[in-house]
Amino acid sequence: MRNCKFEGNIDEYLMNRLTDDKKNEFEEHYFNCSSCFEKMVERDELITAIKYKGQEIFKDEPATEAVKGETSWGKIMAFLTPKQWATVAVSATLIAVLVFSGLLMLKPPSPQFFINEDAVRGGKITLISPIFEVQTVPSQFEWQRLGENAEYRIYIYDNGDTLWQKTTKDNFIVLPENIKKTLASGEKYSWQVKAFSPEGALISVSSRVQFKINHPE
Amino acid sequence: MNAAMGNEKKLDLEQIYVKYRSIVCFRVKKSLGVYNPDCDDIANEIITNVIEKLKRGEFRGESSIGTFIYTITSRRIIDYIRKKSKVLKHVPEPASYPDPHEQVENKERAETIAGAIKRLNPKYREVLYLYYYKELSREEVAQKLGISPRRVSERVNYSQKLLKKMIRK
Repeated sequence: MRNCKFEGNIDEYLMNRLTDDKKNEFEEHYFNCSSCFEKMVERDELITAIKYKGQEIFKDEPATEAVKGETSWGKIMAFLTPKQWATVAVSATLIAVLVFSGLLMLKPPSPQFFINEDAVRGGKITLISPIFEVQTVPSQFEWQRLGENAEYRIYIYDNGDTLWQKTTKDNFIVLPENIKKTLASGEKYSWQVKAFSPEGALISVSSRVQFKINHPE
Repeated sequence: MNAAMGNEKKLDLEQIYVKYRSIVCFRVKKSLGVYNPDCDDIANEIITNVIEKLKRGEFRGESSIGTFIYTITSRRIIDYIRKKSKVLKHVPEPASYPDPHEQVENKERAETIAGAIKRLNPKYREVLYLYYYKELSREEVAQKLGISPRRVSERVNYSQKLLKKMIRK
């Protein structure tokens, strides 16, 4: 049973899923609520451990990708007897070993993908500009690079709705003119960057940072 | 009587320091990144500033003490980020080197928690895998497991309680 109505925000906050307003509200809250702060610290430890050791912890995880409650799997299993399935498995393994050994002698060296330590799960992307207030509509969005081969997806939001998103390998992006025209003076927007490995795995998410375009003087 | 009141006030400041230092540190690290080497300095500066302001009587009770400290913390973080973003535009940022002792302690803690997670019932390990490692939303996890989103939250919370018990043993 929850002790505090803000307790439900803990995971969303730690996973950087809260909007700026909700984030600020929750941050002020945990300065005033020992219960939420203690629970958040415990949860943060858990998340950090999972991100740091996840590959090792979950390497033996059964196929959790499959949707539970499927009946077609039962139908497939019923096609052969267990003994027949065992024979198929052993034969397939032997064939795979033979083929793999043959391929090893032929295959060229694999391309080396290095993601440096900063890009390991849990690394933080720092957004550089624009932040807080700008005098004109920003032409360029820039963030700190995270590793050698990471790919970045930038999102620009208007009140929680995604206004624009784009993927790039650089640590900056130039805003297209047609998007610039949609940003208005006096208004607040927010933006966020997510980093992906070359294999497409999500490796880091920045905080959502708000910026305001001041009225021209 | 003045001496007694002075002692009481001193005790309060110590309690405030003890209570809010960890909260300020957490907030700073969350904003600046755990491995930012300036985190400890910024956190120390903030809490020192808070104590000085309290001694000068700048807290008038218009808000809670927590909100007072939160405001000072947020402002300092904003100042730091503003200065840092100006510097970063022109100068490449040097590599950040985390405190090796803190790193060892955090790694050991992570190892302990990881060991406990491996011993969890697969039902609970599965939800941690999907929710925190794969970073699926509560609704996506619910759909994959064929349970309600509320049940997902219950399993996550219960996993936490189980892990706490296992680690204490």
